[in-house]
This record gives sequence, C-alpha cells and structure tokens, in this order.
Amino acid sequence: MSKVRIMSHLIAGYPDDEGMYAAARGLVEGGAAYLEIQLPFSDPSADGPAIQKACSEVLSRGYRVAQGMKAIRDLKVLYPQVPVFIMTYANLAYCIGIESFVASAQESGAEGLIIPDLPFDADEGLNAACEKYGITSVIVAAPSMSAERIEKMTRENRPYIYAALRAGITGEQTHLDESILSFIERVRGSSRVLGGFGISTGQQAALLAPHVDAVVVGSAFVRLITSASAEGPEAITSALKEKMHKLTGCTEPS
Amino acid sequence: MNVDRKGYFDRFGGRYVAEILYQPLEELERAFNEAMEDPLFIEELKRMQHQYVGRPTPLMKAENVSRLLDAEIYIKLEGYAHTGAHKINNALGQVLLAKKMGKTRVIAETGAGQHGIATAAACAHLGMPCVVYMGSTDADRQQPNVAGMELYGAQVVRVESGSKTLKDAVNEALRDWAGSFGETHYVLGSALGPAPYPDIVRTFQSIIGKETKEQTAELGFIPDTLIACVGGGSNAIGFFSSFLADDAVNMIGVEAGGRGEKSGEHAVRMSDESSRDAIIQGYKSRFLVDEDGQVLNTHSISAGLDYPGIGPQLASLGERGRITFTRASDREALDALKFFAEHEGVLFALESAHAAAVAIKLAQQKSLKGKTVINMSGRGEKDLFITSAVLRKEEWRSFLLDELKRLEETDV
Ligand SMILES: Cc1ncc(COP(=O)(O)O)c(C=O)c1O
Repeated sequence: MSKVRIMSHLIAGYPDDEGMYAAARGLVEGGAAYLEIQLPFSDPSADGPAIQKACSEVLSRGYRVAQGMKAIRDLKVLYPQVPVFIMTYANLAYCIGIESFVASAQESGAEGLIIPDLPFDADEGLNAACEKYGITSVIVAAPSMSAERIEKMTRENRPYIYAALRAGITGEQTHLDESILSFIERVRGSSRVLGGFGISTGQQAALLAPHVDAVVVGSAFVRLITSASAEGPEAITSALKEKMHKLTGCTEPS
Repeated sequence: MNVDRKGYFDRFGGRYVAEILYQPLEELERAFNEAMEDPLFIEELKRMQHQYVGRPTPLMKAENVSRLLDAEIYIKLEGYAHTGAHKINNALGQVLLAKKMGKTRVIAETGAGQHGIATAAACAHLGMPCVVYMGSTDADRQQPNVAGMELYGAQVVRVESGSKTLKDAVNEALRDWAGSFGETHYVLGSALGPAPYPDIVRTFQSIIGKETKEQTAELGFIPDTLIACVGGGSNAIGFFSSFLADDAVNMIGVEAGGRGEKSGEHAVRMSDESSRDAIIQGYKSRFLVDEDGQVLNTHSISAGLDYPGIGPQLASLGERGRITFTRASDREALDALKFFAEHEGVLFALESAHAAAVAIKLAQQKSLKGKTVINMSGRGEKDLFITSAVLRKEEWRSFLLDELKRLEETDV
C-alpha cells in the first residue's frame, strides 16, 4: 500500500519559536507531504478550542505577522522540498493590504494561501493578487454548498481545493461516510483535493487517502504539541514524528 | 444607499464567512424576505409587540431637565419594553422567524445580557430551547441578567476565550452555528455581522423610529435632533431609520469614551482616528484593530458599548456625514444617569446614559438644536450592581458581605 499523504497543520510561533521549528522537523521527518502554517488571528471563529488557545497564547507574546512570515521563510530554507500553505483569516491579509500580504507570502516561499473567510466570489482581489505573484489561492469548500455554487467554484479551475469534510469547527471528530466521499467527488473538478476537518487517526487517514491528494490533519497535531511542549523541543519532534508515522501508515499501526 | 452590490452599504457590509455558513445565510435571507411579505407573520408580530412586549413604548417630555438645561428634551422610553431594553424587538422578530423556518433550537450571543435575556424570554414565550453565549467578564458584571436568562429556561454558556466579552461570544455562537444550522437559528443581537443580519436587525428595530415619528407628529412636531448610543448600532439604526430621508433631522450617535483616549480605554470607532477598515465576524466595517489587523481590547463602564466594531450601515452613514458621531466618558454617563434619575424620575441603562450625557453637554454649550429626542434604549435596574459599586461603594460592600452571611446561614 502506498504511503498516505498528509498535510499537517502548524501554528506560527507555537508553542514558541524553538518549539515550532521542532514541531516542523518532526512533521517533515515523519513524512509530511505539505505543511499548512496558520498565522494566528485574535478572533479565529472557525477554529475549535485547541487552535484558539494556541493562537491566543502566541498573540499574548505580541507576535506579529511579519515574524510568522519570517518563520515560514526559515522553514523553507530548512525544508525546500515540502510545499507550504499559509492559513489565516481575512483580516490579517486585508489590513496589511491584500497585495502586500500576498507579496510577502510569495517572498517567504509559500506555495499558496488558505483564507476561509474570503469567499471565492468576494475575495477582495486575493486570487488576482496570487496569480500576479505566482502563488495559489486555495478555496475552502464545505458540505453545505449547493450544486449551483459548487459548479461556480469548480469553474474557477484552481490548482487546489480544500474540502472541509463536515459542518462545524476544527478539532471535533469526523465520521467518514458515503456522503463525504461523494462530496469530495463533486468538488474535485480539475483540482487537487486537500481533505480534512477532524481527522486524527491513522485509520481515518487511510480511509480518506485514496480519495484525496492529501489528508489534512490539524488539531490532532496542535494538541500533541501542547502536551509535549512541557518536555521541551526534542519531545515535540519525536511526538510528532511518531504521530506522523501512524498517520502515513509507515510503521506498525497503533 | 445599498446601491449596486447586495448586502453592502457603500464599501461596508458583505458576507465574509467560511463557505459552510454561506448556505444558511442564503436560507435566512430568503425566509426573512418571505416573512416580510407575509401578512400573517406581520400580524402575529404586531400582536405580540402589543400584548407581550408592551408596545408602543412611551415618548415623554423631560420637563424638569428641559427647564434646568434651557432646552427642549424628550425621551423615547424604549427601556420600558419587556425585559428592559430595545433588544426584545429584534429577538422576538427573529425567534418568530426561526419558528416559521421550522428551526427547533435558538442560539444567541450577548454582551450586557440584554439581548440574551430578550432572546431567552422570546424563546420561552414561543416554546423554543435557547442557548446564550456570554463572555465570562460580561457574565460576572451582569449577574442579574444571567439569573434572568436562567429563569426563562435558557442555558447560559460562559465564553472564556479572547477578551471574554461580546465579540468572543459572537465567535462562539458562530462556531456553534457552523455545526448546527440544520436545526438551529442564530439570533444575532445587533445590526452587524454577515448579510442579511444588518438588514434583519434594522427592520425589526425600526419600530422605535416609526413610533417616535408618530408620537412626535401627534404632539405636533418633527424632531430637530435625535440622540442614541452606539454599541453595534441596533438601537441607533432602529431609532434613526424612519428619519434618514429627512435631511433637516440632525442625528447624533454616541460611542463609549470609556476612561481615556489611549487604546484599550474606550470603544470609539467613528468619532476619531482610532479605527480602521477591517473584515471581522463576517462583515467589513470600521474596527479597533492594530496594524496587523488583530482586534484590540476596548473598555466601557457599560457592557453593551464595548464592541470593537460597528454595524456597516452606521459606518457608511457616518462617513457620508448623515450621522454625527461623538463620545461620552464613563464618568459623564454616570453623571447623566444620576441627573435624569434625580430630576426626572427616569433611570437610564448605562449604555443609554451615554446618549443622555451628550444631550446635557450640548445643552450646556448652547448647541443642542431645537426639539431633541434621546433614545433611552434600556432602563437602568440591570446596572445597579455596577452603579452601586461606584456611587455608594461602602454601603454596597457591607450589603454584599451581610448578604453573603445571610446566604450561608440559611438554606432555602
Ligand atoms: C440598553 C442597551 N442599549 C444599547 C446597547 C448597545 O447595542 P446596540 O448599539 O446594538 O443598540 C445595548 C447592548 O447590549 C443595551 O443593552
């Protein structure tokens, strides 16, 4: 069986700078196909408690967007082979200026942006700016979308679609069933599908993997980072590497 | 206004939500438009506004205050509505709409607790289960409203994230709704959020202005000046909307000046340079954010005026110069509250007292024009815990200590 491809989620600056590099190392050495790096926002209304708490801890240190961009640049130097997507909320891109934000994302070496609260048909020029700078703007599709809206979305022909596999927020359990698999087929179009929301076990990842380009795992990693951080950076690296192995199916299943 | 793009007021408004919420917002917009065309819905709402809420709320001439200030001041006593504030107008309308939509559960956010208590009461009245999200800072300073909501059978969920105030309660309600919209309606409490909420809330609140227009006409005049406090903006837009077309009517929106000019000490978005254009909680408007776009802390003595953003229609009317924005400090609001209580026998909510404070200030400067109506959006009993702690600290302290002792000695 081929290895499961994982897009793994990290929060810039969490638990601290050193800890974040340690986490990235664990994920990459564990075989991450993509890194999704979240720039913390004060009001993450699509995120569950694990990510909320992590973001507000980072921001309480006065963490700036520019520091997050620099961290991404550093990671790209360390791991040039792993594509990085920046995930954040509309306001961080909008206040700095969509074009300057996209420019600095491109400069940091990111492959693209995931901004769930900039809908693809009201994105404040995000996609146009991304095209100009040669990076991609990833649409987040959701199971509540009407057939009409899915069609409008697939006509965009974006390189990637992020399929949020259930209603709700990050960090809750998702049960994979027929309706989810058919949703993935409906949104695919000509895009590569990144599928996730509530994926935390190797079993779930293996079930989903044949249907997507990569399985997105977010809160499960954030929770591990939180619990390993007391023991220091090495503990973070090894905890994430081990988890990654379970998710990709590269070692014995748990 | 509302020109080419649906859901926008000039450059403000819109529907900036994660894709999951697009469909529920479309469904809501359709249902709302249908309800507004449905004579049975309108009839039912009118009946409840009269029999349950106690509408119309009175308009009174503030004779004593007018004499003392050498001005002509009227008060729209909106706080006499059931549950003590204008919030019931919107809550009742939306809960009735939720029923019509076939929803079986209602959620709401609340700041001061006034919207929460209004929604809880409306839900009890219409037989709907209700969950209210409330920042823990707000829940602590508005205990009487928490107790009230619970009496009406609502579940009050304390929100511990972020600044633990209104904006965090909105985030938490949005999170709930993103997973529950199939059976749940989210009753947003102010004229903000993603379209169609600003239109829905304005429509249900516009009864304040309609009545004011009729009541002043009965007394034989058209007001020269209207003054309302502005948190998210629902009482203000509801009060102003019937008069917007009449350019002779001067409109003043009063923001929380708090305890100082520094960032974090107030919630002034329109009357100075503190705010920026931002996209937060589903809409574009003026918000108090830092250079990166992170939401800043705010302060007001009143829990209802410390929201870091402002409804999109008010932001646009402010920029167009149709509404003049100004501020009142914590201290000025308290002084105004005392002044109207002592001289008029009317107890303003701390939020509404900000509007009263500006009426006093302008009258003293001889720049209050003609016949003025202040919207008393709420009544002040809910704030006795706050006002007592400031105005009669020692007596209040010994009362609380004694009360605690009594509580521990008896078990009822
Ligand atoms: C009595 C009263 N007035 C005003 C407000 C502010 O809200 P808005 O600006 O939406 O009227 C509140 C909010 O809780 C309130 O309770």
